Amino acid sequence: MIRAENITKRFGDREVLKDISATFEPGQTNLIIGKSGSGKTVFMKCLVGLLDIDEGSIWYDDVLFSKLDFRAKKEIRKDMGMLFQGSALFDSMTVEENVRFPLDMFTTMSYSEKLDRVNFCLHRVDIIDSNSLFPSELSGGMKKRVAIARAIALKPRYLFCDEPNSGLDPKTSIVIDALIKEITNELNMTTIVNTHDMNSVMENGEKIIFIEEGEKCWEGSKNEILKSDNKLLNEFVFANALAKQLKASTK
Amino acid sequence: MLRFLSGFASYWMLLGKVFSRPEKVQIYYRQTMKELISLGIRSIGIVAIISFFMGAVITLQTAYNTENPIYPTYLIGLGCRDSILLEFSSTIVALILAGKVGSNIASEIGTMRVTEQIDALELMGVNSASYLILPKVVATLVFNPFLTLISIIVGILGGWIAGTSSGVITSQDFIYGIQYAFIPYYITYAIIKTLFFAFIITSVSAFQGYYVEGGSLEVGRASTKAVVYSSVTILLFNVILTQLLLS
Ligand SMILES: Nc1ncnc2c1ncn2[C@@H]1O[C@H](COP(=O)(O)OP(=O)(O)O)[C@@H](O)[C@H]1O
Ligand SMILES: [Mg+2]
Repeated sequence: MIRAENITKRFGDREVLKDISATFEPGQTNLIIGKSGSGKTVFMKCLVGLLDIDEGSIWYDDVLFSKLDFRAKKEIRKDMGMLFQGSALFDSMTVEENVRFPLDMFTTMSYSEKLDRVNFCLHRVDIIDSNSLFPSELSGGMKKRVAIARAIALKPRYLFCDEPNSGLDPKTSIVIDALIKEITNELNMTTIVNTHDMNSVMENGEKIIFIEEGEKCWEGSKNEILKSDNKLLNEFVFANALAKQLKASTK
Repeated sequence: MLRFLSGFASYWMLLGKVFSRPEKVQIYYRQTMKELISLGIRSIGIVAIISFFMGAVITLQTAYNTENPIYPTYLIGLGCRDSILLEFSSTIVALILAGKVGSNIASEIGTMRVTEQIDALELMGVNSASYLILPKVVATLVFNPFLTLISIIVGILGGWIAGTSSGVITSQDFIYGIQYAFIPYYITYAIIKTLFFAFIITSVSAFQGYYVEGGSLEVGRASTKAVVYSSVTILLFNVILTQLLLS
């Protein structure tokens, strides 16, 4: 479980996150939704400690993560995996080396054990026979999948995904969403996904947090989202014409 | 001025991170070998070409400036040797490497920053500054002295070929000249300067790349800055080191 309490984050004198509190439970896909520029990425980077928060506290189970020093954070980081918006695969390494990297860095496994684990993870995300390709030779969807494989190589307890669908076609998006959901259940991870894609919201939204201009405006599930009368949320959810018509017809 | 000071402070803080204990020595060793090839071996060509032609030009210019019969011609060889040893093979070669290696380092690390690869390293719990920069620093400190020696040898060779083939000096006089009143300390001096310059190029360029914010435009800018700042720092240290080492 991850708990954020009254998080405030400023860049200079600009307040990008304002007093956000939220709880994320294990075994389910938690979504953070909001327009682009609303602060989703900054919030996620605060949660994992890539950015320092100005006020508030972040708890991982019973550990006050936000107050730990670099070394102690490192221990918890070994339980974290993250899928970055642009995949962030290491350009200079092959697919196999990318997935093996965390194993090389943090385990004492033998080479063949590592290779087994790499192949297991790659198979899990349906990347087969591509071990020796470089990231520049992969399509967007494949990059995301390799990045997922790298994120789960060390069997993390917490998985963070920043816009896993950005830059993908609708069909590939669905595949990636389903993959994240399945892996979350299999490993009983606490998964947090940033998205502005309504498809994945309706598909995966067991718990949804809506952020607007750095403030948490709404919290609920996908079943509640359509019925909500929160004005900002409605503007976001029913942004396109088709959705507006749907909303009108259900009234 | 304030920005300069805060930049200076973060440069030293970055160095602090770079020189903390490596996570896994074996991986650092592997990275250092890679950098030896990409930053060192791949620079031999350009250093050799430039040294050859500079050696040739230095010899010819020395010859035209000493066309007076009271100067013995072997002085041409001596002049060529000392210019190359004292200034050319350390400082000029460092400036050229600042252009080649410096922009390469800044754009590589800068790209990793803007594409979140550095975040990915940090998230895994890797000390990204040390992992990315330390192997480069070690590789250039180890290899650049060899580049300097190569430059000295090829430069003098260029001088010999230019001098003898244009007829301004006989082979015998040139070879006598480059041995005449030879001060071995000049080689030490060139190597010491090279070590300082290698550290300046790598650390200043890595600093520029590591703190890039934005996109590819900013990466380009950082790589230009890397070349300019490391060149200026090299010129400054050239004066300081010359004063300290030769006076
Ligand atoms: N390093 C930074 N420095 C200053 N402002 C930033 C920085 N990173 C993000 N911001 C600002 O914070 C706001 C939220 O950004 P972000 O979290 O990336 O939005 P998104 O919801 O699209 O992920 C944006 O207005 C952005 O300009
Ligand atoms: Mg974002």
